[in-house]
Amino acid sequence: MYRFVLRRLFSGVLLLFVITTVAYLLLYAGGGDIARRIVGPTASDAQVALKASQLGLDRPLLVQYWDWLSNAVTGDLGRSWFNGQLVSTGVTGRVSVTLSLVIGATIIAAVISVVLGVLAAVRRGWVDRVAQFVGVLGHAIPGFLIALGLVSLFALNLKLFKATGYVPITTSFGGWAATVTLPIIALSIGCIAAIVQQVRGSLIDALRQDYVRTLRARGLSFNRVVYKHVLRNAGGPALAVLAVQFIGLLGGAVIVEQIFALPGLGQITVTATGQGDIPVVMGVVVATAAIVVTVNLIIDLAQGWLNPKVRLS
Amino acid sequence: MFRSKRMAALVAAVALSLTGCSAAGSSSQDAASQTLTLGAIQSPKTFDASQSEFANLSPFYQAVYDTLIRMQPDGTLVPMLATEWKYNDDKTVLTLKLRDDVKFTDGTAFNADAAKKNLERFKAGTSPDAQFLAALKTATAVDATTLELTLSAPDPAFLNYLSKDASFMQSPASFANADIATNPVGSGPYILDTAATVTGTSYAYKRNPDYWAKDLQHYDNLVLNVYLDQTSLLNAIKSGTLNGANTIDNNTLTEIEAAGYKVNPLALNWSGLILFDRAGTTNPALKDVRVRQALNYAFDTKALLQSIGQGHGEQTAQVFPPSSDAYDKALDSRYAYDPAKAKALLAEAGYASGLTLSLPSSTLLGTTIPALITQQLKDVGITAEFTDTGNNFIADLLAPKYGVSYMILEQQSDWQLINMKLTPGAPWNPYNYEDPKVDELVNKIHLGSVDEQKAAAKELNKYIVEQAWFAPWFRPQSSYVTDAKTNVEVQTGNAYPFIWSFTPAS
Repeated sequence: MYRFVLRRLFSGVLLLFVITTVAYLLLYAGGGDIARRIVGPTASDAQVALKASQLGLDRPLLVQYWDWLSNAVTGDLGRSWFNGQLVSTGVTGRVSVTLSLVIGATIIAAVISVVLGVLAAVRRGWVDRVAQFVGVLGHAIPGFLIALGLVSLFALNLKLFKATGYVPITTSFGGWAATVTLPIIALSIGCIAAIVQQVRGSLIDALRQDYVRTLRARGLSFNRVVYKHVLRNAGGPALAVLAVQFIGLLGGAVIVEQIFALPGLGQITVTATGQGDIPVVMGVVVATAAIVVTVNLIIDLAQGWLNPKVRLS
Repeated sequence: MFRSKRMAALVAAVALSLTGCSAAGSSSQDAASQTLTLGAIQSPKTFDASQSEFANLSPFYQAVYDTLIRMQPDGTLVPMLATEWKYNDDKTVLTLKLRDDVKFTDGTAFNADAAKKNLERFKAGTSPDAQFLAALKTATAVDATTLELTLSAPDPAFLNYLSKDASFMQSPASFANADIATNPVGSGPYILDTAATVTGTSYAYKRNPDYWAKDLQHYDNLVLNVYLDQTSLLNAIKSGTLNGANTIDNNTLTEIEAAGYKVNPLALNWSGLILFDRAGTTNPALKDVRVRQALNYAFDTKALLQSIGQGHGEQTAQVFPPSSDAYDKALDSRYAYDPAKAKALLAEAGYASGLTLSLPSSTLLGTTIPALITQQLKDVGITAEFTDTGNNFIADLLAPKYGVSYMILEQQSDWQLINMKLTPGAPWNPYNYEDPKVDELVNKIHLGSVDEQKAAAKELNKYIVEQAWFAPWFRPQSSYVTDAKTNVEVQTGNAYPFIWSFTPAS
């Protein structure tokens, strides 16, 4: 068990190193004249040179990269080139917002899609058709359109929620809920669509297995068979889909955060990438990669708990 | 794991949290009635005064930094940290008397030495407006309250610049602070609350309790929210989150008014074509004034104002604004739409069989404007060839790579405008085109008496219009919207009202 976790952690660190190196080189190659972009098109060449030397952009690429990496290892991710803020402050302050959305959407999606998926697989009939319909609809309508619809209905017309902005959960839970509910719903709909299909499919497969007939023949109630044995078997693939969805939600959050003007990672990523603010983008890359590695580790452990066969691999 | 009871409880909990939050309290920001919450479309790169900017970013800085001179909404200059100022006879030495009762928020006293250090730092810094102080040769602190500025040559716009970012006064004791970019130390009406600020998104300020000019402090708290996305800005306005905001275009004014906001119009820019290549370097046709005039006659500016500006704005053919001494109302209609006249002029110039112009396009412009330009030029026999510049639109214009381009440019005060667009070294004259007549008039404006300046400015404007250096279409209306609780006076020549121009509606 410990060796398994350690191995996964080690490969996670290695992955982090490869991702950050590639990202740094790519960003640098596509950066163009960053100092010029910071001081603006009408600045003099002397001002551009001054800015470049202030930020150390006049040094060779490898020296700059090594400088970034050796500081990053000690937890110092530097300062934004465009607003002077410490990257660690900027990123950690925003991770909580994005994670609020993504974790919230994942939980809601998991609960709703398991309920819907189980009902659809066990009951079939009209429930199944509703679940199928929800699945297709959630896939067909893009997330940003759902978000816009939610804003105009619940925030602008009914005034139930905030249309824009964010209140930290530490300031007021009610305020936080009022600002994140709509974005979470917008994010979770597409997610539900994907997982419902997966849960329904693997349950229907599992229900056809021989052991279900055997258990029923031994007099176990249908519900007991489903909840104690079948779900456990069908849970693995559903969890894998959930993990993929969670990582996909990190991307989906970018658009939703823009629409609701939420100060999350998405907003900072869009701005920083557009500007060529390499220290900030690198900070986001590190944070995102760390989140993804952690989530995958948790999913692996959960799958091992659900299915002893996985633990050996 | 999934016992049905447990699952039911989970579903119930989720449902509760979903319905429960609608009943929960509103956000913490409207707790005090004296909080001013404004929307902006850009965020400051840094709070370091030597790298500060103006225009859309002015409120972020004005909240924390005073200037030596204050500009009123109509453009009049009045005392701020400087109580009086006087030029010598040849306008090369400016002597300012300063207040002696002002302290920065770190306790450092404001005096002539602090002012001198700030001006020198701005001039040597990386602000895009650093050239505002290009004429400043030396700054001398004669005594604690007397500052003497020596200019290398007279600069008619210099006092104007001292009311903008060029004279933001930051505590010299904070120049070496590691957090200078995010924690400004000034003497202004508000103090940045760094704990409540999310850089790039939301900036929270508290009233400065020791501020020297209570009549400029109208609120206890100030919040500046940044919206990078048009939809989110519009939603923030419509949901009543903001007391005031910029609007990105005029398409949404009706919706915003319906939400109970007042539209405060301001004329800031002109849009149309810049005919950069007046010497015919890249396209010999542009050297002929008749071709340039034909380009002015070729556009149905009334229709363009309707289709691009939704009818909010005024047609024009001149680049000087109505607030300027150079402005002549008659020039607005100097080139009324006349395709026949345009064709005749082209024929006279030897282009009866047509001519091809190369223009830049960009995602910034969208597709409508290039299509309209192509159509209007085609009607008079000119072929427009557009090249996509990607993200380098401005850089390519200033390189220069194009003889003609569509552009929206600000209408600054006269001397600033002349130095931005007309002089041989002006950034928006990238081919460095020079005309002796223009040089002579600019020189009069530079060194003449007030009356001579006014007369020369009028003549210069007329000459530029006759020579067709530009082909302006209209002055689009920009709008600043405010809710029922807030009054504002818009600022002449600035995209954003000044921070002390906001007052609670009684």
